Amino acid sequence: MPLAAVALAGHGQPRYAVGSPRRERGWRGPERLSREQETVVPDTQPAAELAALLRACAGGDRAAFRRLYDREAARLYGVALRLTRSPALAADAVQEALLQVWQNAARFDPSRGAAEAWLVTLVRYRALDLVRRTAREVPGLEPPETEDETPDALAGLLRSAEGAALQRCLEALEPERRRLIVMAFVDGLTHADLATRLGAPLGTVKSWIRRALLSLRRCLEP
Amino acid sequence: MSDRPDELEVLAAEYALGCLDEAEMRMLAERAGRDAALTEAIAAWERRLAPLVTLVPPVAPPPELWSRLEQAIAPTARTAGSLPPARPRGNLWRSVHFWRATTAGALALAAAFAGLFVLRPPAPVYVATLGPAGGPAPTFLAETRPDGSLVLHPLAPVQVAATSDLELWALPPGATKPVSLGVIPRSGAPRLTVPRIAAASTQLMVSLEPVGGSPSGQPTGPVLYAGTLRSLE
Repeated sequence: MPLAAVALAGHGQPRYAVGSPRRERGWRGPERLSREQETVVPDTQPAAELAALLRACAGGDRAAFRRLYDREAARLYGVALRLTRSPALAADAVQEALLQVWQNAARFDPSRGAAEAWLVTLVRYRALDLVRRTAREVPGLEPPETEDETPDALAGLLRSAEGAALQRCLEALEPERRRLIVMAFVDGLTHADLATRLGAPLGTVKSWIRRALLSLRRCLEP
Repeated sequence: MSDRPDELEVLAAEYALGCLDEAEMRMLAERAGRDAALTEAIAAWERRLAPLVTLVPPVAPPPELWSRLEQAIAPTARTAGSLPPARPRGNLWRSVHFWRATTAGALALAAAFAGLFVLRPPAPVYVATLGPAGGPAPTFLAETRPDGSLVLHPLAPVQVAATSDLELWALPPGATKPVSLGVIPRSGAPRLTVPRIAAASTQLMVSLEPVGGSPSGQPTGPVLYAGTLRSLE
């Protein structure tokens, strides 16, 4: 058995509880409203600000790039750190992604998607690329485990209208399948990683993901 | 709902989700480069799934990250664009085939990892090597940029007498008179950037002119180097 598989086999216990009733009801603070009371107020102001910063970056405005960095770096670094589990790789991923932003800002077209989603996508691909390349080049090197910082169910998604729709559709999935989708996205786990983590056959995991994704699409674009 | 077949839809979603292994990601990225429907499907999934990042708590990046970025976007780095900062002057770099290969590689990499969904498609890239008539090695390399500008890079040292300047000209197909694109700077990086140019099959020429460029608006001296812009596709 390859080293990686042995190491992962010890973590067969699911680290996520997105689908579990305990987590879903487990609101952490009094400031949280129950789901019924929550109202979605899409905040379009930040999106417009970010688009304006990108326009300025397209014109070579380095001060605007600094403001963009101040605004987005912690969120992007958090995402990259979660995917790579390595501060060095995470910093590289954010740096490379933001350089791509600087170089391609002129080609950013707000009518084709939100700027935030673009930044997130860039960072995720850079982080996934770096972490998978590193895993291949240094076989047997396991990224250090971090303590379970499970997102509190899907509550955070309500920040945006798109997020609210995604939350609604994720909640329509069976909990086990929902967990797979969130784990794959947030932790950057491949089909094989997920199968090992869950102790489920690879074919089963693939089939669950496939069905979950098709259900999601039907729900998001009826 | 889009009428994309399920197979394409699932592949696109798995790509955006990131659950494919490295070889599968790469294969799919290459396919997306040729398959607009797949690219569009991936783009749609990137948008759909992006809100999931709000589940991850932000973490303050190390302070040196900004310094690294600041250095990378410093003006000198910026004008270098996609070109390597220190370009060897060996024969390798004189080969347009090599140039073509590395540019294509860079584009493939961008397609694989750049989240193309919100970007306008890049303008086609045209390159020309400019050399002396009958000479084996080109002296300049001209390339168009995605924004439609043209950049002229020297590939070999060029000696020009203090009483002369080199001027770059463009002759679009069908045109009878060349248009001046400017005088090539003598010192520093002898690179010339031209805001916008009609690219395909345009002939580029470098002529020897009085200091400051041709006084007449047309080449007055001999054409030392010439080449034609060709698409990299």
